[in-house]
Amino acid sequence: MKALAIALLAACTPDPVAPAAHDEWDDKLADRVVDYNAALRIAALRLTGELPTLAELEAVAAGGQPAYETQIHSYLASPKLARQMFLFWQDTMKLGGAPDLDSAPAFLAELSTQDRSYLEAFTAPSGTCPSYQNMTITPGDCANGGVTVGVLTHPGMNAKMFSNFGFRRVRWLQEVFECSKFPAEIALTATDVGGATPYTGMFPFTSIADSTVNFLDVSSVVCANCHSNINHIAPLFAHYDANGQYQPDIAVPTPQPGSPLAKLTDYLPPGEPLAWRHDVVVGDMRSLGMAIAADPATARCAIARLWNWAMSKTDIVDGAQQVPADTIATQVDAFVAGGHRIHDALFRIYTSDDFVRF
Amino acid sequence: MRAIFIVLAACTGTVEYTPDPAQPDPFTTLEQQQEGGPPRYTSRVHGCVKMRYATLGNLLASRGVDLTAADSLSAGAIYRGGEPSLGGPNFAARERENIAIGLATSAKQFDIFAQAAPEIIASIASRPECAGAPLFDGAGRCLARGISCLIGVPATPSHVDICNLTLARAADVESGKRLAVAVLTAAAHTCE
Repeated sequence: MKALAIALLAACTPDPVAPAAHDEWDDKLADRVVDYNAALRIAALRLTGELPTLAELEAVAAGGQPAYETQIHSYLASPKLARQMFLFWQDTMKLGGAPDLDSAPAFLAELSTQDRSYLEAFTAPSGTCPSYQNMTITPGDCANGGVTVGVLTHPGMNAKMFSNFGFRRVRWLQEVFECSKFPAEIALTATDVGGATPYTGMFPFTSIADSTVNFLDVSSVVCANCHSNINHIAPLFAHYDANGQYQPDIAVPTPQPGSPLAKLTDYLPPGEPLAWRHDVVVGDMRSLGMAIAADPATARCAIARLWNWAMSKTDIVDGAQQVPADTIATQVDAFVAGGHRIHDALFRIYTSDDFVRF
Repeated sequence: MRAIFIVLAACTGTVEYTPDPAQPDPFTTLEQQQEGGPPRYTSRVHGCVKMRYATLGNLLASRGVDLTAADSLSAGAIYRGGEPSLGGPNFAARERENIAIGLATSAKQFDIFAQAAPEIIASIASRPECAGAPLFDGAGRCLARGISCLIGVPATPSHVDICNLTLARAADVESGKRLAVAVLTAAAHTCE
């Protein structure tokens, strides 16, 4: 049972694997042919939300690659891109349908369409509540108290993802921006902690609390496998109440009779520091944002999501549409080297060899 | 075996009020990978997802369909009332738009395309996107440039042949035109 559990958990970890031997799938990839006409249709639908016009079709059919790339530049310069990025981020973040929720995807759309770093999503100290209407994004600040740290402190997100202990907010953060479910980290060596399955977290097993809720329980599953990470992050999100308003004290309930508010010691033993990952201690929401921005997985996730969007895939987490590191390595490198500009990344993706081959 | 996954998933869910959307069955995922290829292959080839709801509306409007039409059997009315069955998002339930292709969404799309065909035939040539290119000539033959503007890629001789064959086999010319346009539209836009 333990071996099976370890194998299952390991299967969820995007560790690099040895290159596979040449097989039929490589042959299929090699058999693809460049088709700028087909690529244009998909690019137009994604980047403008509309079919290409007849003039665009005929220009690319006659002009090939240069005409195609000119057209991609044109799509990326169109105000329709703001609409498409807004819809993309609505879907990605699962937030929308009301102004207070729309402002989070509007902020990401703003970053995506302007010459700004994507990492501002986790670091921006202001301007994180713009409004969106008719392809126009109007800058705006959030007014929910406390500091502003990108989307991490967004009132709509914190309201929509309100839950016991604030765990849903942490899970949202992990799945949307890191592209994987918890457990976020898996140790190479599993530890027998007396349960049916072993502990596979990177933190010491006893680094989380066993008081109000016993996160060290191993009677059915080893809760610490996920909660070793979750509990080191969640207290920062626990200061936002059900309306997404910042409160000086923890404002999320516990799943106990009467729903009492959580305490820091419900998450972590006294003296245990907050942390983004086992080796990345954070002190507050701003340092958490900086840690997320510095995590290579964050940039990789952004490109993987944009890649899947372009390549007509469903969600990377909910739809299990994996993107191996090798597939997007050059895209990620260019994204990082170029200052995390999504606008530039979109051009590279839509003109990439894989995108224009069918 | 499946219970293990459920139990593992439950680890983070024990303190949440409401369940999240259903997760993909890992065995289904494994089966799909065996049939469709490993991620190193599938991630590098285009998939086939349903046309997004908003995009479908843009497409219809840009080819001459009145999305505000009041007639309950009009393409516009079916579109407006069809968002749930077309997979539209339900953000209240933290659900993004469902872009997986299913029977219900495909059937609804085809309903819309079938009802949209007369409007498209009548209006496409006057749309700026289509630069005056009609779908049919005066003799009732299909025209490549009009088809191109409808399907979003340059029409091949096969497209034109299929269109003309549909016309020839129809009971009457007008029905044939509607069928041809509906079929071409549905075939072209099943995958976004």
